[in-house]
Parts: sequence; C-alpha cells; structure tokens
Amino acid sequence: MSNEVEILLVEDSPEDAELTIRSLRRNKIANVIQVAEDGAEALDFLFCRDSHKDRTFVNPPKLVLLDLKLPKVGGMEVLRAIRADERTKAIPVVVLTSSKEERDLIEGYKLGVNAYAQKPVDFDQFNETVRQIGMFWMLVNQAPPPEAFAASTARED
Amino acid sequence: MPARADEDKGELPSGTTMSSSSKAIAACALIIVACIGLLSFRSEVRSEEDRAWVRHTYLVVERLQAVRIDITEAETGQRAFMLTGEQTHLEQFDDGVSQLGQDMRELSDLSTDNAEQREAIKRLNPLIVARLEELGDGIDARRRSGFQAGVEAFRRANNGEKWMGQIAAQIGEMRHNEDQLLGTRLDTAAASTRKIKIVIVCGNALAILILVVKGFVIHRETGKRNLAEEHLKGANGRLERRTAELSETNIELESFAYSVAHDLRAPLRHIAGYSNVLVQDYGPSLDAGGLRCLGKIEECAHKMGCLVDDLLNLSQVGRQKLSIQDTLLGSLVEQVVEDLAPEYASREVEWRIGDLFSAECDSGLMKQVFVNLLSNAVKYTGKREHAVIEVGQTRQNGERIIFVRDNGAGFDMQYVGKLFGVFQRLHKARDFEGTGVGLAIVQRIIRKHGGRIWAEGVLDQGATFFFTIGSPENTTRKELELRLTEEETYVERS
Repeated sequence: MSNEVEILLVEDSPEDAELTIRSLRRNKIANVIQVAEDGAEALDFLFCRDSHKDRTFVNPPKLVLLDLKLPKVGGMEVLRAIRADERTKAIPVVVLTSSKEERDLIEGYKLGVNAYAQKPVDFDQFNETVRQIGMFWMLVNQAPPPEAFAASTARED
Repeated sequence: MPARADEDKGELPSGTTMSSSSKAIAACALIIVACIGLLSFRSEVRSEEDRAWVRHTYLVVERLQAVRIDITEAETGQRAFMLTGEQTHLEQFDDGVSQLGQDMRELSDLSTDNAEQREAIKRLNPLIVARLEELGDGIDARRRSGFQAGVEAFRRANNGEKWMGQIAAQIGEMRHNEDQLLGTRLDTAAASTRKIKIVIVCGNALAILILVVKGFVIHRETGKRNLAEEHLKGANGRLERRTAELSETNIELESFAYSVAHDLRAPLRHIAGYSNVLVQDYGPSLDAGGLRCLGKIEECAHKMGCLVDDLLNLSQVGRQKLSIQDTLLGSLVEQVVEDLAPEYASREVEWRIGDLFSAECDSGLMKQVFVNLLSNAVKYTGKREHAVIEVGQTRQNGERIIFVRDNGAGFDMQYVGKLFGVFQRLHKARDFEGTGVGLAIVQRIIRKHGGRIWAEGVLDQGATFFFTIGSPENTTRKELELRLTEEETYVERS
C-alpha cells in the first residue's frame, strides 16, 4: 500500500470522524484517510499550502468527503474553491452532512458536487451509508486520470 | 384577534343610508329653488300684465281729457268765428271736430274690453253729436245771415249749456269708472309685487335653511366616517403589528425547533455509534446484563432519533414554500395505499376508496397528509381481524370535505383537543408505536393550505379524520404566509 491519501475527510466532529473512519476501515475500503477539521485546513491540503506544501497537485485524493457545517471556512466555500480551480476541479466531492435542507441540496449541486448524502441518526444506517459511498467511489467508480490534473499544471507553468 | 376585527367592523356607519339621506336633502333644496324660480317668473309675468292694465287706464283717462279739450277747442273756434266771421277761426273749429272724431275712435278702441265704458261711450256719442250740430247750426247762421243772426242763433242755442253739462257729466262718470279701475289695478299690481317679495324671501330662506341642515348633516357624517376610518386604521395597524410579531415569533420558534433538533442529531448518532462499537469490540468480555444495557442504549438512541427526525420534518413543513398545482387526489391516495403495502401485507385490510376531486394544492405535502393519515389508520386497525379503511369526500355548506375513516382503536372524544398536538399521544407506546408528531404535521400542512382539520372517534370502534383544502379566497393569506416563509432568517445548518 502506498501512503498516498485516498480520502480527504473534512469533518469537525472528532466522533463523526472516528466513526466514519472506523466504518471505512472495517469495510476494507480505504487505509490512508486524511482528516481536515475545518474548511481552511481542507483548502491548505488540497491546494498544497503551508503544512501541506510538500504535496503536489498531480496526486489528489480519490474522494473528498465534505461536511457542510464547518468552522472558519464552510463546506460550500470549500466546494466552490475546488470547482473554481482547474487544478482541483476534477476531484470527486461527496457531501456527507446532517442537513437535508433543500437550499443546501440545490446550492451543492449547482456548485458541482458529485453526490449528496445525509448522515442517518441510526448507527447501522450510518454504517451502511458510509460503506456504500466508499464502495462506489473507491472501487466501482473510474477515478479521473492524472492528466485531468497534470494538464492544468503544465499550462500554469 | 378575529373578535377584535369584528368589533371594529361593527362600529362602521352604514355607507348606503348616509349617502341616500344626503341625496334626499340635496334634491329637496333643488326642488325648492326651482319652485321659487317658477313662482317668481309667473309673478313677474302677472305683474307685467298688471302694469299694462294700469297704463291702459291712464290712456283712457288721457283720451277722456282730450275729448273735453277737443270740444272746448271746437267751441272756442265757433265762438271766435261767430264774433269775427274770420275763416281762420272756422279752421280751429274744424280741427277740434276732426280731433274729437279721432279721440272718440281711440277711446272706443281702448274700451273694447270694458262693457260699461262701451255703454258710456254710446251715451256720450249722441250728446257730442248734438252739441256739434248745435255749434254747426250757429256757424251756418253766421255765414248765411251775418253777425246778428249768429248772435241770435248763439242765444237760441242755450241748450249748449245743457249739452255741455251732460257731456261733462258723462265724461266725469267715465273718468270715475276709470279711476276706480285704476285703483283696483294698482292694488292688484301692488299685491303681486308683495307676493313676489314674500315668495322670494321665504323660498330663499327655506332653501338656505335646507342647505345649512344638509351642510350640518354632511359635516356630522364626515366626522363620523373620519372617526370610523381612524378607528379602522388603528385596528389595521394593530393587526399588522400583531401579525408581524406573531410571524416573527413563529419564525423564531421554527428556527429554534430546527436547530435544537438538528444539533441533537449528532450526539445521538455518536451515542448509538459508540455503543455499537462497544458491542462489536468488547462484546465478548461483557456478560448478558451488560449487553442488554447496551442494547437498551441503542434502542433509546434510535427512538430519540425518530423523535428528532419527526420534529425536523414538522419544522421543515412549517418553513417550506408551497408549490401549488392541480392535483388528482384520487391517484395520490392510490399511490399512498400502494406505498404502504409492506405495512399491512400480513393482514386483512379492506380499502374503500371513493371518488375524490382534484384540488389546487402542494402535491408533495398533500401526499404526506395521506401517508400520515392512512398509515395511522393501518397502525390503529392492527388489532382488527378485518380492518376497514375508507377514504371519501362529502360536501357541507358548499365546502368539500375529505375524510379518512377506520374501524380501529379509535379514541376518547374527551381528549380530541390533544390529538393534533406535537408529541401528544392518546395510546400507550406498548399498544401502538409512534412519536406523536404525524398528526401535528398533517394539521400544519392543512393549515398552510388555508384548510381545516378535525376528528371524530369512539374508543375501540374507530376514528374519522375530516379536512378541507383551502378555498381560493385563502390565496392571499396563503401568499402572505409564503412571503413570510421566504423572508425568514435562514437557520444554521451543518
């Protein structure tokens, strides 16, 4: 196993983060999971800034699991930033949140989210939701080829 | 608050009687002014006639005097001729005679209307003729036989005095008649003028009085109306303020309910999650009692999760915008019955679905209404061997009413007031599961549509839920509510 980050989990609640990671691991979906506790940290990671300046745009995570209610920079802002930049535009983003507000759904899809799921209260259902999302995006889905990110880097140079 | 509005309305003066009485007064004043005009015109015409008669009388008197002067002229001419025999004096005589003829004709013309005067003229005529003949005889004698004969003839003709006396008397009589007539006519003319004056003065005074009364009435009514308007404005203002306050409170409550429910979800998920982790990772080292406790924790967390979800749904319905469209309620019900099939698959349920009208409503929310009512019916008939659930429509006071009836556990009418309250349950959880939010959601949706919902039930025999869907009259209120929903502050989300 390489230690390339497979999933970026943007989640401010340590409990939710722990339970999500546990669920992903137990279902043998992903090993290397990076947790960002707020939107600013998520953007630092994705845009290879500050403590993540050693990263490169050519190795983006295969999936960003994004909560909406986050300290500092909100989930929608993170999503907007990802979609606004050619270097991160192709990264699959799935919103996983407590809210199923129609407004959030509309805004999320308009900003180009790939999927939107509500965290169920029931733990079994929660487990199942996380498992299905992980299964699909990590195993079933064909990830964007590196050119989807590299091309833009070349242009930038 | 509605009672308040009625009371305000009750104090309004009736607009129709106000304007009709005002109109009547105006019409009255107009008629009186018109009458005065007509009367004074007629009086003016009559007084004109009276003045003409007075003039006429003066003319007659004048002619009478002229006749006397003419005779005197003729006499003077004759006497002078008799004395001098000069032809010029004879001409004076002739002038007098011809003038006399003319004046007599005029007099006669002026007297065509007066029989008495005509008679007098008839009597006067021969006297004049006789006198003129006498004068003529004198002239003839003077001409024929000279001065002496003339003097003789003059002397002989001492009848002249007699004729002249009679003529004077006759003219005097006529003059007297005319004077009397003049007096009467002057009196009449004066009376007419007086009458006109009285009519004009009294009529105008009356018209002015009426206008003053009308002015007063208008002033009073305007005052009353202004007062009523002020009152209404005040009431409206109060109502608007109250509405604003209420909607603000409502929004605050909805937001509060939403965020509480929302924030409760995460820790609940964590409780359920960690107890699950405990069972998975440390289950083997726990005994049966410990495992049972963990099971209970999960169960309770699950139950609370359901409560929180229902509460979220309820608050979401409250804040949701209605998207109104023509909806076939019949097919909506069929769909719901089909969707609920898993819940009654193992039971005998007889569905009696009547014809339902199509309604202007939010079809998604209306479906929720039927889901909640029909799943309730399915749930509460759970202990019946043969469950009967009926959906139909009826009409009452021109209003279309939809009902959902079942032969299930029913309820005691004593508690009907609690039926639609949030978290209110009329049955033990052991008997029938539920959170007590379903009917509250139904009521909220129906009210949002401007409709009403109520229920009838008999314990252990069944329950019937009735509801109406708002009429078009409610659209404005609905729209108001919509606007309020749009304006409300957005709740925190995660």
